[in-house]
Amino acid sequence: MKLLRIAVLLPILLFSVSCHDIQDWADDPEGNFDALWTILDEHYCFFEEKGVNWDAVYAKYRPQIVPEMTQRQLFAVCAAMLDELRDGHTNLSSAFNTSYYTKWWSDYPQDYNERLVEQYYFNFRLNHVGAATYGILPENIGYFRYPSFSVALGEGNVDHILAHMIVCNGIIIDIRDNGGGDMTNVEALAARFIRERTLAGYISHKTGPGHGDFSKPYAYYYEPAGGGHLLWRKPVVVLTNRSTFSAANNFVSIMKYVPDVYIVGATTGGGSGMPFSSEIPCGWGVRFSACSILDCMGNTTEFGISPSEGCAVGLDPLAALDGRDTMLDFAVSILAGGK
Amino acid sequence: MYNIRLACRVFIAGFILLLSSVAVESAMPCHHLDGHECDLVPVMRPVAAFYTFEMGSSELVDTYLTPLRYSGWTTGIGYDRWQAMEFDPDRWSMNLKANFQLDRTSNMVGNADMWYFGARFSWGMYRRWRMPYGIMAGIGGRMSADFGCLYASRNGNNPASAKAAVTVDAGGYIAHRFGNIFGKMVDLRYVTSVPLTGCFFSPDYGELYYEIYLGNHSGLAHWAWWGNYFRWNNLACADIHFGNTVVSVGYRCNVLSTEVNHITSRILSHSFVFGLGGEWISVSPGRKLSPEAKMVSALY
Repeated sequence: MKLLRIAVLLPILLFSVSCHDIQDWADDPEGNFDALWTILDEHYCFFEEKGVNWDAVYAKYRPQIVPEMTQRQLFAVCAAMLDELRDGHTNLSSAFNTSYYTKWWSDYPQDYNERLVEQYYFNFRLNHVGAATYGILPENIGYFRYPSFSVALGEGNVDHILAHMIVCNGIIIDIRDNGGGDMTNVEALAARFIRERTLAGYISHKTGPGHGDFSKPYAYYYEPAGGGHLLWRKPVVVLTNRSTFSAANNFVSIMKYVPDVYIVGATTGGGSGMPFSSEIPCGWGVRFSACSILDCMGNTTEFGISPSEGCAVGLDPLAALDGRDTMLDFAVSILAGGK
Repeated sequence: MYNIRLACRVFIAGFILLLSSVAVESAMPCHHLDGHECDLVPVMRPVAAFYTFEMGSSELVDTYLTPLRYSGWTTGIGYDRWQAMEFDPDRWSMNLKANFQLDRTSNMVGNADMWYFGARFSWGMYRRWRMPYGIMAGIGGRMSADFGCLYASRNGNNPASAKAAVTVDAGGYIAHRFGNIFGKMVDLRYVTSVPLTGCFFSPDYGELYYEIYLGNHSGLAHWAWWGNYFRWNNLACADIHFGNTVVSVGYRCNVLSTEVNHITSRILSHSFVFGLGGEWISVSPGRKLSPEAKMVSALY
């Protein structure tokens, strides 16, 4: 009988203590705003680097939230609040709009014109492999354009590209306007140009909701491509502009320290925070930088990576009218031994 | 509030340990359930095995993926095997379970999905007593292994939250056999288990699985106790005998609630259970069944 009583009482007692607390927000303007602010407050990783006082941001925008405001009005206030982070990886997505902070690239010249290269340098006869294009310039320099790290290149594809350029004196990897993608694609490409196990950088994640709660940076390494795949040992130029961002920015941060590699063009757009996704009660998605990636020197690249010394060059609009890409010309001159 | 809950959990854990210690006395040699010493009568230990299908509702929360609660349906299949133990069949029985669960849930406004797939394997032994009114009750310990994954389809770099745990559980059951209801023999049973300790997997608060892929494996395993890992499995069912076949119908409620590295996760499901099973005996060819052999059921 005693055991029977225990058997009845124990489940009741267990039920009352069983679950851990979960914070809930109301699906109204105040609840959604507070949820968004809290998600960023607890997970965003660059408050200190950017000198953003997030409490002050709350005090600035919270009074603008009123119960009777429309969804679009709420979205506009929330988007303006996120813009305070000055982060290209931070977006708010609703069914009617997605917010983007654009000043990281829109305040700078574009420095790239796809048609200029394809028409005046290759007469539209570039080879296409997936999203990538490649060809050989008259100066016997290979040209390889990779517009997005979101699209994987097969190992066999890269072998074909490098084999095609094997007679060249150097290769230009054009990642202008490359907005990033998958880090595994960065590793796959970088592995063709490194010569030994290489410190690629450090990664540091948040260990708690405090603004200063970070793990000790963890060093990560890339290995040269194995399995009989082709490796490139000749000089390389990586062409960049301000729209070289995120995973492409990371690729630059690695290639910059590889021997015989020159970073040519404009300072990259940064975006070194690996983004997390979350959402607020009304169903809007939010994406934000949550995990900082540092270069192999332990420096943040969130604000961009400058070109190699003496290799900063922009696209001259007047020359472009004459069919010249001054950045590409500069890169060719380096590999052809002119600089 | 949290301290009160914590104190309750510690108290209950201690209480269960105390009950478990009572079971140790059963290591003394052979007694029948009614306390008489046992005779040297051949004992047959039939296996009671059930194959179950479940369907019901589910609530998923994982703050690594989203701070919102998701709700939807759950379905699952399971295998449940009971048998009296050879060394003391009257007082000890064992139970083996394997369950597979699939949940699909949506957020409050229905514009995002979250899936859960889980597998659970568990083995345990019960010391059992015959209670008044023909009730059989058992208390014992289990070893369990749980694996699973939550998948939030809208997320980019953090689309999944893996679950893995190995635990030592306390478990118990109550069963009662009704002789005849509408011409059928019906057994009622309630089976429950909660983990006492073990270890489980969790990434750090803002750690991407990509970092784990890069080789940072530190801090992924956590010692489990009720303050950070709480699982409670319940099954209440009626086993209706149709000749040698048993049809089980019942209700299952499973709760998994974890809180570690500031990540809170909850998987809660309520299911209708339908099962088919029966009791069978394995007999060696050429070896006769003794007419004096005593059948010892694992459950009743």
